[in-house]
Amino acid sequence: MNSCLLCETPIAQKSSWKTLLALEKQTEICQDCSKNFKRADIKEVDTMLDQITSLYTYNEAMREYLHQYKFLQDVALASVFANELHTLLKGNATIIPIPMHPEKRIERTFSHVEELLKSACIPFADILEKIGTEAMGEKSRAERLAMESLFKMKPGTAIQPGTYILVDDIYTTGTTLRHAATALKQAGATHVEAVTLIRAE
Amino acid sequence: MTTTFDASVRDFLAGRIWLRSHTPFPIGIIDEHIALEHIKTIQGIKTSKTYTNQPLHFCNRCENDTQARFTTFDCAKCEGPCTYCRHCLKMGRVSTCTELIIWNAEPPTYPTAHIIAWQGTLTPRQQQAADELTHSNIKCIPHLIHAVCGSGKTEILFEPIHKLLTEGKRVCIAAPRVDVILELEPRLRAAFPQTVIEALYGGSKSTTESSPQLILATTHQLYRFRHAFDAIFVDEADAFPYTAEETLRRAVQKAAKPGAPIHFVTATPSDKLLAAIKRTGQVSTIDRRYHGHPLPVPRYETLWNYSKHIQKGKLPKKLANWTAERLKRQEPFLIFFHHIGLMEQAEPLFQQLDARIHAVHAAHPDRKEHVQALRGKEVPGLLTTTILERGITIPNVQVAVVGAEQLLFNKGALIQIGGRVGRSAQHPSGDYVLFHHGITYSMDEAKNEIIQLNKGSVRI
Repeated sequence: MNSCLLCETPIAQKSSWKTLLALEKQTEICQDCSKNFKRADIKEVDTMLDQITSLYTYNEAMREYLHQYKFLQDVALASVFANELHTLLKGNATIIPIPMHPEKRIERTFSHVEELLKSACIPFADILEKIGTEAMGEKSRAERLAMESLFKMKPGTAIQPGTYILVDDIYTTGTTLRHAATALKQAGATHVEAVTLIRAE
Repeated sequence: MTTTFDASVRDFLAGRIWLRSHTPFPIGIIDEHIALEHIKTIQGIKTSKTYTNQPLHFCNRCENDTQARFTTFDCAKCEGPCTYCRHCLKMGRVSTCTELIIWNAEPPTYPTAHIIAWQGTLTPRQQQAADELTHSNIKCIPHLIHAVCGSGKTEILFEPIHKLLTEGKRVCIAAPRVDVILELEPRLRAAFPQTVIEALYGGSKSTTESSPQLILATTHQLYRFRHAFDAIFVDEADAFPYTAEETLRRAVQKAAKPGAPIHFVTATPSDKLLAAIKRTGQVSTIDRRYHGHPLPVPRYETLWNYSKHIQKGKLPKKLANWTAERLKRQEPFLIFFHHIGLMEQAEPLFQQLDARIHAVHAAHPDRKEHVQALRGKEVPGLLTTTILERGITIPNVQVAVVGAEQLLFNKGALIQIGGRVGRSAQHPSGDYVLFHHGITYSMDEAKNEIIQLNKGSVRI
């Protein structure tokens, strides 16, 4: 018997062939907690990006989830949305997580986007590099939009033909994703999409 | 060990076990103290191997050893597998590569001049219990105050605590529930006006001004203490989650200095606690309320299929009549439910009788306001879960339990709930009714114990 990652109540698992053959991951959170997250399933188009898919809305439950995951550094929570992300990201596209600055990464002890992908069993390519250390959340909307370049290609990496999908935790103004897409397109990528867990206003 | 240290660092850290990176002091000052060995560091998570070579983790802060509550991940800071404890995560993450710090130099000395400003007088039984408690403190043995609801338990503690404080000792009153701490804080501040008192609970502000000698804390907060107190009083020792969680009991043990006594205060001690204390310590029993009147004996009323009725949107007739009677006589009332869902289904049905009736539970945002409104007579009555079973005093309150046969209502809970009735000297009795769908052993045990207590003969 395992218990819910968020509220610690035991979850009654029903066994099926799928879970037995490990085709489906066991759910990590209970019914009551998963009800609190609201699916958005928004698809948008942007100047630099051919498609942006967001899975959930940014509500109170999601705010608490992000707080515990990123700021209290509860790495175990990476697996909460593993099934959903796996369904959306499986395929042939090259997955690029939005990178963190190395210093910031050491401070947090893990990269939150990479951990999401790892627990969703999605292989990813680490070809982008963050330039500055400042976090998006600390900037105003105007400041964000006025920034120059945030990312560059890692030395020694090259763009292959095919679709690239950028992955980030949250999509607010889209600045981060646009900068990352620009870096990829300048290096020669033709089709760049994005998937984010959350769509915030 | 050499030279000087910062007294404010000592006062803050003495008796505590803290995250090295999360103190209220600049990191440089802490590093200096560590270099001079005034502060000792301890690894956050200790990992050993079982005989099958499985890792076995142990959190040095909350002493959690349930392996399912640990998570191992690939850490970017220590560049390898790193384990953290999810049990005490909310107090700042403790992992293999985080360090905990404890004070290693001379402990602070506490003042010995304290006045006791409480003006009341103890009944002979209370006085005897207070004397017995002081005696146990001298002998350093655990003591249980087993006193019925409404017998003035807190007042019994004043004298023994005062004696400890004047000996320059550090004292802690711990309770599993924050409501109890919030109620105790003003009473103790009034009783000991010259003593440095700090109340600690989830969301309380931490101060570094001076070293608190008397600490009121939820048992959770004791995770962050180590060998700190010369005596600990655990109030409402049988309340959830203290009985359910092993780590909380360990936290209380760890917070006490080695050999320091841990005392318990409760109206409904478990058989286990009674047996443990009888083996090693002393028990004082008070079977009379301070006003001398007997405890209200519960009466049984059948309420067949009450949950079906409520789910269909009908209030069972007996329950409606009981509520209407209370409304007519303008007596405040509490109606206990075993399940939040059922209570919320019943809420609109009660509101047809009086629109001011509300339901409260642990996670309810307006819980404190509603209880305050009941005290202020703005609200005729409340529907509640067992969250209000202890620690609240409302004059002339009448109590009903809906579904008293439910497992949640064990003997202790039913005695505590009955303890809400007739607490004040002006209204020393009241109605205590158990609406049930069949009588359980717990109900009979609770009723018998109340009758026995009233006769003045408890099994001890």
